[in-house]
Amino acid sequence: MTPLHHIGNFIRALVVPIPLWCVRALFLGTLIAVFIWVLRLPRENTTPENATHWYQNLKIWACLALAIQIVIYSIF
Amino acid sequence: MQSLSFLDFAVIAAYLIGTLGLGLYIGSKIKTGADYFLAGRKLPWWAIGMSLVATDIGAVDIVGTGGAAHQHGLAVANFEWIGCVPAMIIAAFVFIPFFWRSGVTTIPEYMERRFNVAVRSALAVCWIVFMACNLGIMLLASAKMMHVHLGMSVDACIYLTAFLVGIYTISGGLAAVVYTDMIQCVIMIGGCLLVLVLGIIDLGGIEQFHAAIEKQEQVQREKELAQNQESGQADTQVSHTALILPADADTPFPWTGIFFGLALILSPAYWIGNQAIVQRSLGARSEFDAKAAYVWGALLKNLIPVVVAVPGLIAFVKFPELTDGDQAFPELISHLLPAGLKGLFLAAFLAALMSSIDSYLNSASTIVTHDFYKRFYRRDASDESLLKIGRTVTFLLVLWAIGFSFFLMTRSEGIYTIFQTLMAFFQGPAFAILLTGLLWKRATGIAAFIGFIVGVCFSIALFTLNQEPVYTVLGMDPLFQISEPFLYFSIWAFVVSFSLIVIISFLTKPEPAEKTEGLVFSLQPKRTPA
Repeated sequence: MTPLHHIGNFIRALVVPIPLWCVRALFLGTLIAVFIWVLRLPRENTTPENATHWYQNLKIWACLALAIQIVIYSIF
Repeated sequence: MQSLSFLDFAVIAAYLIGTLGLGLYIGSKIKTGADYFLAGRKLPWWAIGMSLVATDIGAVDIVGTGGAAHQHGLAVANFEWIGCVPAMIIAAFVFIPFFWRSGVTTIPEYMERRFNVAVRSALAVCWIVFMACNLGIMLLASAKMMHVHLGMSVDACIYLTAFLVGIYTISGGLAAVVYTDMIQCVIMIGGCLLVLVLGIIDLGGIEQFHAAIEKQEQVQREKELAQNQESGQADTQVSHTALILPADADTPFPWTGIFFGLALILSPAYWIGNQAIVQRSLGARSEFDAKAAYVWGALLKNLIPVVVAVPGLIAFVKFPELTDGDQAFPELISHLLPAGLKGLFLAAFLAALMSSIDSYLNSASTIVTHDFYKRFYRRDASDESLLKIGRTVTFLLVLWAIGFSFFLMTRSEGIYTIFQTLMAFFQGPAFAILLTGLLWKRATGIAAFIGFIVGVCFSIALFTLNQEPVYTVLGMDPLFQISEPFLYFSIWAFVVSFSLIVIISFLTKPEPAEKTEGLVFSLQPKRTPA
């Protein structure tokens, strides 16, 4: 057994008992954190200078992509 | 697969002629190196977004993902969902606009501006070795599948693919790659969607499909329980529709690898640091188009597992006796698709194959031309001469890919595995230097170089120590307890590289402020015209 084996076994012993509902919360939490970050981005970073329509705001489409992910990881 | 009809061949021929015609038409408008390598910075977001998706999904991936879904369930979809979407969104608003504004042609070029020429060269060498090897692997793997589907010899399939992709990539450069990718993306999604819809109809609808999966899982569970009782092992069966699998499950996709290896390291490294991916957004007509392309790609990515992985689940219900998962898609096509539509799916398959090879050809040529030829041989090379060099290098890469695929045919499968693991060797360290370089002013060139080299050596050492002949000779247990631990190589190589960069940066003299100015990210809003 090398030190790498000991480190690996230690980490494995830590992660194996974590219940899957906690893991699901971790996955969903990550997606929700990115979702909130996108919502809080300044409008200047998500729209072109001469934007005239709501659909030119990339924030909407990025949030839609992430919302689909949140639904998927909530169900499966 | 059953033999193809005249209609099938007509559909395939129409697709190939159309792709070649478009590529050659675009090629006729290419005049300079900037046109060739960055499409004259005129690409629209919708074409780039579809090209990103088409490049990411190769023919091998379509068959492999369907096969993995058949064997291990929906967890393989993590590679397209959490393994793509969040990283693409973050890249869209943080990294991609930054690269676009900096005006670089390659990621290694940014590395020299931020750090030094040693970091640029080390990264460029890794990418060129990976891309060159991968070209041969993709060509051979795809030719083997075409041989099964089209009934042509493997040699003929290699020559045909190399000729078709080579012609339009040499002629049209990045613009030809992106616009043909766009068509290939539509055909690829359409062809796979066809298999999905016909498969669900064949099973009697979505509810019946779901019930059939549960029933099949029950049958397998009972079979495994009986086997385990005989051998005294515990029940390790996991649901075929679960995305999140336990850390100790008998699968290549435990949640620990998916979250820490894929979502946090491999995925951002791929979407932010892969030259074949980033290059097309560098060719966007505006900063907004570069961002919008990634967001559009992320939206499309939501759809990919539905059309690629779910057919694997349909095969799981229809052909549970299949032992080779890679036969899942071919079996479905044989049983579900009528004449004409079979040709459409094979066109989709060819589209997936060509869209990956053309991208790697173009990006490898860009790296050789800019990071080696222009950097070390002709710093004052004109744009026109770069165009000639780029086309010549692409031609030589086509010849190399053909030669290497024939070489691989004579080797054992082990060679394949080593090359397929190549990316995991350097993606973690590459992400570490990219992340520290972009986000941390204090990171120094010497720290980045040492961190990168040690990280690559460390992941190669992990791979070597995990090979059965090696750990048996050394009298050790394997380092990792899953069959394909490439996700774990990336995690550890990243951790080692990142830690070294931080420690050595603090021990070395900071880079002058004027050197890092404009090269380290800050979240200041910047408006640009559409």
